[in-house]
Amino acid sequence: MLNRQIAKDYRFWFLLLALATMLSSFVYPTKIEPRPTYQIIAIVDITRSMNAEDYHLDEKTVSRLEFVKHTLSELLLQLPCESKLGLGVFTDRRSTLLFDPIDVCTGHNELDAAIKALDWRMAWAADSRIASGLFSTLEMLKDRKETLLFMTDGHEAPPINPRYRTDFSSVKNKLKGLVVGIGGTQPVPIPKYNQRGECEGFYSVEDVPHRSAFGESDLNPEKIEGYNARNAPFGSAETIGTEHLSALNESYLSQLSLEAGFEYLHLTEPQTMLAKLEASNIYPVVKNSVADIRWQWAILALSLTIALWL
Amino acid sequence: MTAIAFETPWVLTGLLLTLLPLIKTGIKPTAYSWPVMLPPDPLSMFFSGLLRLIGMATVTALILGLSGIYLKEQKMERVGHGAHIVLLLDRSNSMDNTFAGKAPNGVEESKSLAAKRLLSEFVDKRQQDRIGIAAYSTSPLFVMPLTENKQAIQSAISAMSTPALAYTNISKGLAMALSFFGQQPVTGARVLLLVSDGAAAIDPDSELELRKLFKESQVRLYWIFLRSQNSTGLNAVPENPRDDTADAMPERYLNLFFSSLNIPYQAYEAESPKAMQQAIHDIGQLENRPLHYYERIPKRDLTEACYQWATAMLGFLLMLKLFEVRIG
Repeated sequence: MLNRQIAKDYRFWFLLLALATMLSSFVYPTKIEPRPTYQIIAIVDITRSMNAEDYHLDEKTVSRLEFVKHTLSELLLQLPCESKLGLGVFTDRRSTLLFDPIDVCTGHNELDAAIKALDWRMAWAADSRIASGLFSTLEMLKDRKETLLFMTDGHEAPPINPRYRTDFSSVKNKLKGLVVGIGGTQPVPIPKYNQRGECEGFYSVEDVPHRSAFGESDLNPEKIEGYNARNAPFGSAETIGTEHLSALNESYLSQLSLEAGFEYLHLTEPQTMLAKLEASNIYPVVKNSVADIRWQWAILALSLTIALWL
Repeated sequence: MTAIAFETPWVLTGLLLTLLPLIKTGIKPTAYSWPVMLPPDPLSMFFSGLLRLIGMATVTALILGLSGIYLKEQKMERVGHGAHIVLLLDRSNSMDNTFAGKAPNGVEESKSLAAKRLLSEFVDKRQQDRIGIAAYSTSPLFVMPLTENKQAIQSAISAMSTPALAYTNISKGLAMALSFFGQQPVTGARVLLLVSDGAAAIDPDSELELRKLFKESQVRLYWIFLRSQNSTGLNAVPENPRDDTADAMPERYLNLFFSSLNIPYQAYEAESPKAMQQAIHDIGQLENRPLHYYERIPKRDLTEACYQWATAMLGFLLMLKLFEVRIG
């Protein structure tokens, strides 16, 4: 049946090959591929200083918290399927987990709604104790395999007494993760809201304490003006500082992350988050996933078919 | 609204390639001394046109397949049993104690762990419901919107095992839980299930606001009150009338407030995990009324059909090729 003339025409062979290709696509439609996934718990600082506006999104000034929410929403879209994301909030001296990690693909809408709902008014107390917050979070999650993202601007309020430092040795390296520094390095005012959530200007110098008044000072008593061991352990002089303004305290956060066995990342662009996770080999969890490769077969068959008319 | 969509729509520009069979014949030219001399051959014309058509169909099917064509998720209205349920969970410190008011000692579980276990079972049984979760301590926490995704709900319930927070500010919690219904159409039963081990006085400002919200959202309210041993309970009346204030007896006053809302309301006092299980079981029974709900028909991949078509067309082309007759 196959005459010699037809066998000489390349079109015959191309057609045969194209048909064979498409038939193979039904026999081998998928391939097992190892693919990195990420198991993440993001703990977001929702204290007042996170309302400070020093980020830009679409040429609009947005607060640190808004930027964190935007970043997490973006991350949600970028993470490969089978990755999981859990969410928690931090204020005062500890954090709470809103939910355990959920699959980013099947649970996308729920996760996105929960991220959008993050609000400073969820805070159950107003203090911002970054170091003890990080410590208690690590202790709460120490037995878990997930990567922790602790997202904070590092603004301790009221200021801490350097004499009493949190000791991280008991939780160091138990958990892996990043301390993510949020905010700009230039001090900016912190918006002040009333009970109804309306903005009433900014925190002023008189609104906030500018130094710790807890325990004993770490300075030599002879150097403190008006020192009295019982009545004025910090001296009599009034301290005026810049605690009413807030800037990202990078050196403090990198030091904390070092003590906790974490990495530090200054969040400047939403994309840096995933890039940082991808760059390391301790965060990705490689999972074998079934990849659809029918498109490769189809492209081959398409090229062969197109060639028939050239 | 069309039901067809594509995973990678830009691939559709490849449809331009279907013009190629129109421009070229796809048949090896045969040298002939003077083509005008050839008699008209309708059969050959027909086959030439057929070849082009099939060629175009093949390319189209392949491109559609590559573009990841699919039928969008559809919704079909059904009548079934279920409800929209918002769980409002107390995350105050006292939830980490046992029903006896002590720290858990390994024999007795804490109230929050008992609640976690029983609610998780409850969610498992409520396959057709949409469930949402809010929590509260000093301030309300938005946890999970109303959703059919049971895995997400279970993840949120399992996070209850992390340590509880500060105090009990119930009015803000209630307002947040009711706001969940705000964006939802009223399609069936709406249930607010409050699980708490204590109460707090509701200030007059929020009281008015809450009355309005409760009225608007048409919910049925269930309160599972996890009663500790030293608690006075919901219906206790103090011996000394001077103690009969909202601050001294918050549970009694919250119960009175709920009863005065003119909405379907039921309170359960659970003094042990067993009683709590009974209460949850009762609610499950009560909330099995008919409900209009939308069943989701998941999106359907059409690429497989495209590839099958392309394959059939290629087979057809090959067959026609074998019938090709050559002269000289």
